[in-house]
Amino acid sequence: MQTSIEGGSAFAYINVDLEPGETVIAESDAMSSMSSDLDMDAKFNGGFFSGLAKAYLGGESLFVNHFTNNTSSTRRVTLVQGTPGNTRTIELNGQEFCLQPGAYIASTPGVSLGIKWAGLKSWFAREGLFKLTVSGQGTVWYGAYGGLLEKEVDGEYIVDTSHLVAYEPQMKLNIQLAGGLFSSFFGGEGFVTRLEGKGKIVIQTRSLSGLADWINPRLW
Amino acid sequence: MKITINREGQEYGPYPLEQVRELLANGTIQSSDLAHCEGATEWVKVDQIPGIETADDSLPPVLDSAPAVTPSTDTDVPDTYTPTGQHEHEFVIECKPDFSYLTVQVPGNQSLKVESSAMATMSTNMAMKTKMKGGFSRLLGGESIFINEFTAEGGPAEIGIAPGSPGDMDHVYLNGSEEIFLQSSAYVASSMNVEVDSKWQGLKGFFSGEGLFLLRCAGQGDLWFNTYGAMIEIPVDGNYVVDTSHVVAFTSGLQYNVESVGGLKSLFLSGEGLVCRFHGQGKVWIQTRHPMAFANWTWPFRPQKNNG
Repeated sequence: MQTSIEGGSAFAYINVDLEPGETVIAESDAMSSMSSDLDMDAKFNGGFFSGLAKAYLGGESLFVNHFTNNTSSTRRVTLVQGTPGNTRTIELNGQEFCLQPGAYIASTPGVSLGIKWAGLKSWFAREGLFKLTVSGQGTVWYGAYGGLLEKEVDGEYIVDTSHLVAYEPQMKLNIQLAGGLFSSFFGGEGFVTRLEGKGKIVIQTRSLSGLADWINPRLW
Repeated sequence: MKITINREGQEYGPYPLEQVRELLANGTIQSSDLAHCEGATEWVKVDQIPGIETADDSLPPVLDSAPAVTPSTDTDVPDTYTPTGQHEHEFVIECKPDFSYLTVQVPGNQSLKVESSAMATMSTNMAMKTKMKGGFSRLLGGESIFINEFTAEGGPAEIGIAPGSPGDMDHVYLNGSEEIFLQSSAYVASSMNVEVDSKWQGLKGFFSGEGLFLLRCAGQGDLWFNTYGAMIEIPVDGNYVVDTSHVVAFTSGLQYNVESVGGLKSLFLSGEGLVCRFHGQGKVWIQTRHPMAFANWTWPFRPQKNNG
């Protein structure tokens, strides 16, 4: 399988060249174009109940599409995310990674998607009660609005809740106010996520709420 | 580009590219001779010099396979910027130019002023305080009236700042004498010693439409500002005309008048509206998109029940 991410940081897309017999799994609606003789199969996202749970609790689609090359030569499928922004990959080799709802785009067949309880605190911060995890062997493509930056955290670090995209599972998340009561609400920062531990996190360099705050005053 | 020719151990030249083409055409040198372009590290064959290989090719270029203009790729513009000139705080701007993101290292017990609600990440020993700056006139400036102050308590701390609009970001170091006027929504962050206040522009500012409420930034230290769209920095000596909604910033050495491009008729018919005519000596930064055009473009698709 040959893959590449192209299209620049604002409108990234993924080219997947499947060798005969290979399969790639993508979020429903992620396919933008493909060779006509690729086989597409809509399947529940990890079984009926698990799929339902992911759809309603993890912000993902109920179905995922399996693209399989049953021909005898290389075929291409092009996959995209719904928002403007950048796409990145995670290479899994037995470890696990947590993704924010909506960030998952596609993965190779050795990767399994799961959901985990994120806690009431997470729900208060409008981040959902559950978080999406990816684990196993293979490649995961994920994306978000804005650029994507990887950071190594050792100790504690604060991330605005709308900017966190992915993190390693050993990171502990706590929701807190950005500053004092007055500052947090009048300073426009509200809730932030306090990360604890040693590991990798990925942030998005723009947020939808930031875009809305910028354009809304002009829509009247 | 000067080119030195080496033929059987004997060096000739250096010649300009044009002359090499002529010498090649009249047979004085052969395409298999060695050539060295000024500044290059290696000798190559004459027909491998850029600009030579097609010179003696009488066939017309094949348009289907070769685009006339080489499309620029992302690699032309580095996506990361670290300061090379004078600066107070260490910083890096990443994800340029589409979604520029600023990370500033603040030394222990020092503070930084940041546009409200733009903080995306920070160290845990960063303390946030909300200050009302400029009061009512800043409210008129279209910006939220709050600038947050982030203080690195007890030790160095970092803060990551994400502006609301998609676009680029730039940094200037204010040296204490020159001031910068910023279109109010372009403000991102500044050192504590940079005074930021809104300056009432009078009717000139009022009639110039969106975006020309200006913030005056004076003092000594760092100032960061952002654009919607790409950013162009233009040195001005004399006169220069910029559409009011494309003005991002300009140095205090420039005076400006707000006017219509070509009289009243064109004000209403040309679609160009009002422009700033700058005069003097200095620099002006412009943005290649403007928010009202974006708002007008999306306007028809607004959900009706969700009014604003």
